[in-house]
Amino acid sequence: MPMFRMPKSDTPKSGMPSGALAMLILRVLHSGPLHGYAIAQRIHVLSSEVLEVEEGSLYPALQKILLKGWASAEWGISETNRKVRFYRLTPAGQKQLETELEDYARVTEAIQSVLRTA
Amino acid sequence: METILEMLRRIGYLLTRNRRRRELESEMEFHREMSVRAGKPEARRSFGNPDRLQEQAREAWGWTWIDRLVQDLSYAARTLRRSPGFTLTAVMVLAIGIGVNITAFSLFNMMVLQYLPIRDPQSIVRLQRRSPDASTNSISYSSMMFYRDHARTLSAVMGTFGLGGQRLEEDMESKLAYYVTGNYFQELGTRPEVGRLIDAARDDTPAASPVVVLSYGLWQRRYGSDTGVVGKVIHINGKPATVIGVTPYALAALGSAHPDLWMPLQKLPYFLDGNTTLAPTGSSGDMEMWGRLAPGVTAKAAEQELLGLTNELRKQYPKDIWDKEYIRADPGGHDQILEKDTVMIMSAVGSLVFLILVVACANLGGLLLARGVSREHEIGIRVAIGAGRGRIFRQLFTESLLLSALGSATGLFLGYATLRIFMARANAPLWMTATPDWRVILFTVAVGLVAAVFFGLAPAMQIARQRQRRTIIRQILLGAQIAASCLLLIVAGLLVRAAEHALYANPGFGFEQVVAVDPDLGTHGYKPADARNFLEQFRQRVQQIPGVTSVALTSMQPLGHNKVSKISNTINGHLVSIFPFTVDPSFFQTMQVPLMRGRNFLPGEQHAVIISDSLAQKQWPGEDPLGKQDASGSGPGDVVIGVVANARMMDMRDGDTVELYHAAREEDMADLTVLVGTSGVPDGLTPALRSIAQNLDPKLFPEVRLLKGEFHRETQSAGNIAMIISLLGFVAALLAGLGIVGLVAYSVSQRTREIAIRLALGASRMQLLGAILRQFSWPVVLGLIAGAAATAVVSQVLRGMLYGVSNLDPLSYAAAIALLIGIFAVAALLPARRALKLDVARALHQE
Repeated sequence: MPMFRMPKSDTPKSGMPSGALAMLILRVLHSGPLHGYAIAQRIHVLSSEVLEVEEGSLYPALQKILLKGWASAEWGISETNRKVRFYRLTPAGQKQLETELEDYARVTEAIQSVLRTA
Repeated sequence: METILEMLRRIGYLLTRNRRRRELESEMEFHREMSVRAGKPEARRSFGNPDRLQEQAREAWGWTWIDRLVQDLSYAARTLRRSPGFTLTAVMVLAIGIGVNITAFSLFNMMVLQYLPIRDPQSIVRLQRRSPDASTNSISYSSMMFYRDHARTLSAVMGTFGLGGQRLEEDMESKLAYYVTGNYFQELGTRPEVGRLIDAARDDTPAASPVVVLSYGLWQRRYGSDTGVVGKVIHINGKPATVIGVTPYALAALGSAHPDLWMPLQKLPYFLDGNTTLAPTGSSGDMEMWGRLAPGVTAKAAEQELLGLTNELRKQYPKDIWDKEYIRADPGGHDQILEKDTVMIMSAVGSLVFLILVVACANLGGLLLARGVSREHEIGIRVAIGAGRGRIFRQLFTESLLLSALGSATGLFLGYATLRIFMARANAPLWMTATPDWRVILFTVAVGLVAAVFFGLAPAMQIARQRQRRTIIRQILLGAQIAASCLLLIVAGLLVRAAEHALYANPGFGFEQVVAVDPDLGTHGYKPADARNFLEQFRQRVQQIPGVTSVALTSMQPLGHNKVSKISNTINGHLVSIFPFTVDPSFFQTMQVPLMRGRNFLPGEQHAVIISDSLAQKQWPGEDPLGKQDASGSGPGDVVIGVVANARMMDMRDGDTVELYHAAREEDMADLTVLVGTSGVPDGLTPALRSIAQNLDPKLFPEVRLLKGEFHRETQSAGNIAMIISLLGFVAALLAGLGIVGLVAYSVSQRTREIAIRLALGASRMQLLGAILRQFSWPVVLGLIAGAAATAVVSQVLRGMLYGVSNLDPLSYAAAIALLIGIFAVAALLPARRALKLDVARALHQE
């Protein structure tokens, strides 16, 4: 039996690649600590209500971010006065975000140039 | 790529897993509340099963397998608890199978793997003379000193010289003494029970005042554990010596030596007048040599250096050093030094013991398969609610693992208890303990896993694929059980026959009325002429004792274990062990070994040999050996003058050994043992024989042994071995019997309806019985054939311990096969009777 079992699939139900979801989460955390629901809301709003982050993909992604050390969790009080976990970007997460944005920019650029010239 | 930090976070999660789980739960709960509040009441539904979602999220940490394992284990535990009868049977069957193996391994571990509790045991080596065709375990003092002085790969050389027949004060019973080099106890780091031990500088010089160290046992028995004995003067062989101390209770000595007395080697000539052990004489001698490897040196490197030294030594004693002689360095820090023969015997025993495990596992496998049928319903439900084959298989195998863990634990306890009893009865060294060490625990875990795979894998696979009704696997398992028990029973039968043979068959020589007297003249410094004189006078006086019929001389005491020499030669392509005796002409009459052809020796005759009939048959089959030269093992120019009947006097167990006799010459006299033949019971002769020897020379204290006593000791050990193996055989047969009962009973219950219908249609009950038993008779027959064939092949190894019984002894084979068929008949008929008594109407109504 292997020591660690990775989640079976990297593509949760939302249809969004988990890598992209992680990038979006890191990006919205860039502007300050947020709790899980707020992260989903922020992504929803910022994408002009196009992207819907379901709980079934959000929380596995958050657990993975914690495991990778890209964000730390701390307890805070929500706007509804409930004790809830806030996620804060760590320096490692900051670096990861930059790398992913660069990669993303490069790939988008490449795709764009193909689309333009073809 | 997993970084170290990530690994640490994973482990951190594992440690705080319960809190983290609650945190995640509350976090997701909050999320859900917020969604509902935000006007999405459908969230409650679309959110799905919260437990499932949480589990998915937690999977990121990679620990969910633990939860599943715990789940499987608790389910398995519940299942087993629900059928206590099955569980108990299974655990007992396993505990026996595993326990026997644990016991055997523990013994092996104690004797071969465990280090003696001495200082740095890893670097102790046993040093012995070897060459491609000769070997001895002893060496002369002068050669030992040569190696000690020149070997740089050895940081110390220890020598011991064990000598029986030592007289303590006026005690009737002789004592065993070890004369050791002064560094012996210091090198071993032995701490005295009382007083001090031998010190190299203080005690081990020719001029030192004589001292002696008592063994704990002697101190307890003879001196009532009186600490005041230290400093007292006692007399050994009539020589005063000061007691300086007592060895500890649980003394760990090299080569499992346990003498009564320990003395410094340099004082040997003091305790034994005229002893020449320390004088420079050739290379063969009586010292056992041990060494301690210098730091960082391997045994191989030491052997390399010693080989060079042996070649130097050859220049000094060209005749004494063998062709291609070398010194072998074996790990010496254990109870037993592993030699080829011991390895053979141990692997033979290991395989037999392993067969018990095979029988137990095959048995349990059959039970599990049968049980799988009665669990069809349960498994069907689990499959119906979505459990995959993999999941069912994992669940079933977890059950097997749990069973094997229970069995192993019980087996460990059984093994421990057996070992305790065995060690108490077998006089094991006191430092040994039956408490399992890490090796035994590791072995137990490994055997448990192997057993689980053996008995659990195939049934779990079959059941998970819902194919448990197929009989082929069950038949294979039954056949394997029968084959393995058949092998064990035949071997047991052979050993019983051998023990019986040893007791009741004529060993080829008379022993009931012979007494051996070993005056040990050589050790007391006798020159050949003096020895001849002594022996002549001794013979004259002994012959005057009423009842004494003959007196003979021999170099090797029949049935003895000291001073045994053996030649291994290849004769006509077969390796044969030859025992070379040096005897006087009256030997054959005294030992009642009949002369078959030719003539007896003349006294002191040279260049003449007498050979045993077995040697003649092996070397010159169908020819007349008389007048031939070059009898195997004899010297150049020796002519065969006679052939005597086979007499396995030195190794009763091995029917393949042969004997070769030379006539004793004057130079052999100091090393000969006297054999006294009597017409009546020889038991009362000991004091008279000893006093005759002491009248001739007061410093002698000869060992007097009744050959029948040695014979009984020998046959008793054969009986013990036969008993242990028979016990194993019967355990295997019993297990196989239980397995058959279970299988047939299951088969009958499974086919109740079919049987009832056939009865209703007019089938006779005997026909039905045949139909039920037929599916089992093939595996049984095949198993018996396979078992007997395998035994015929592997029992070759046993030939050396069968006391001349053939390893193909038909009686043993027939008995084992008959016994197994009998067991099969009883085990099969008991449950099959139910089918015969079946009430047709009721059986059909029930369905």
